[in-house]
Amino acid sequence: MAEQTKAASSRRSSANRKPKKNQIPYGVLTVVLIALVGLWLNTKSPTIAFFWLTGNVFGVILQKGRFCFTASMRDPYLTGGTSLTRAVIIALAVTTIGFTAIKYGYANVGLPIPGMSYVAPISLATVLGGIIFGIGMVIAGGCASGTLMRVGEGFVMNTIAFFFFMMGSLWGAHDFGWWMENFISKGPRVFLPDIFGWFGAVALQMLVLVALYIFAEKYEQKRGASH
Amino acid sequence: MADDKKKFFDRVKSNEYYVRWGKNAFPYVTAALLLSLFQIVTLAVTGNPWGVSGTFAYWGAWIFKAVGGSVDKWYYFASTGAQATLEKGILNHPESWRNIGIITGALAATLIASGFKIKKIKSKKQVVAAVIGGLMMGYGARLALGCNIGAFYSGISSLALSGWVFAVSLFIGAIIGSKLLVKYFM
Amino acid sequence: MKEVMLDCFGEACPVPLVKAQNKIKELEIGDVLIVQIDHSCAMKNVPEWARKDGYNVEVEEVDDGEWEVIIEKTK
Repeated sequence: MAEQTKAASSRRSSANRKPKKNQIPYGVLTVVLIALVGLWLNTKSPTIAFFWLTGNVFGVILQKGRFCFTASMRDPYLTGGTSLTRAVIIALAVTTIGFTAIKYGYANVGLPIPGMSYVAPISLATVLGGIIFGIGMVIAGGCASGTLMRVGEGFVMNTIAFFFFMMGSLWGAHDFGWWMENFISKGPRVFLPDIFGWFGAVALQMLVLVALYIFAEKYEQKRGASH
Repeated sequence: MADDKKKFFDRVKSNEYYVRWGKNAFPYVTAALLLSLFQIVTLAVTGNPWGVSGTFAYWGAWIFKAVGGSVDKWYYFASTGAQATLEKGILNHPESWRNIGIITGALAATLIASGFKIKKIKSKKQVVAAVIGGLMMGYGARLALGCNIGAFYSGISSLALSGWVFAVSLFIGAIIGSKLLVKYFM
Repeated sequence: MKEVMLDCFGEACPVPLVKAQNKIKELEIGDVLIVQIDHSCAMKNVPEWARKDGYNVEVEEVDDGEWEVIIEKTK
């Protein structure tokens, strides 16, 4: 009986279906254009060409993977699903290992450690910024990377959000001096290896990530069973 | 000739490797591992992890300048580095090209999967949500010195405590946002 | 045994999933819910949720970038 219903629904929808257009040629054309722009940029500056290339790679990965940082933060509460949350935890763990290897390599030979500007001062501005950003990304249906990715997918809503993201950034930059003076400049920059040592910091972070992963999975099972 | 080409791409549609890599979505974990790989490549090559939203402030500034505004007196853009970036313009700004690349990369992947469609606005609520959400993301990212990529993903991966503080705040914000979304924007 | 259409074209995540979750609660066992979506992420999380909850799920691509997720309420 159920099978019949399903078959019926498929028939119904295929009856009034228009023939699908094949967009693959346009896709191939886009890839060719991306490559040509890359070659042109390479004549200007290999660095810019590299950023262009990695940007496109990130775009492809985000789109193919339907990778959404917003959902990883939102779904545990809203729908009880944590599959994306766990994927983000895996990304954090793997990237931590790679980043630390590079950083340790530099520190070991006495060179300045790269990427230390991402160890940001912790202040009320960090907390408020996180909460404001968190609310915004859920309402707008996409974070920074997700918004860009969805502009590429053709979402008008995310394109509007993208424009106002820029305007909000401008507004934030306008007020930045005040926040800097009163909060950010007073916040400590905490690089975990300074406290726990290189090995200790990585081990501790891995433990926390593993614990979060297990908790996320158990939580999903518990939520799933309750409804 | 045109007919041959059409047939060729129609044949591609049923090719098993096309279906697996070009058409279907990747599992989340595959995407997580690939993102990690290119994050590590980015740090190794450029000396900095991946960031997205800092660039949006520059784009905002360029738009503001284009309509006659000036940001020269703003503390945020006061450093010589920021002034030089503003001076050189978007075409010479590597991070801008990376952000545009995210858009074009996603577009290419969608077209290859033959799944592109302009998704029109359905209701006024969506416009309001996009405007408010966008503004909040922009402002919040400047306060926290980064977004879900720079402050969260790259921050935590850089063994920065600030990344964890931002993560907890982001999570709290997402819960508040979910409540607001269900109540006002659905 | 009825068939219910849920039009989620143009809706961004997580709206299609939340709407589908709410809608399926109203249905009787044996009913079929058809969620129409054009959001690539919802195309992944709606079937994922429905399969995890033990319903029969079928996804059909009705047009470029448009899908119907056919969910049969089995329990």
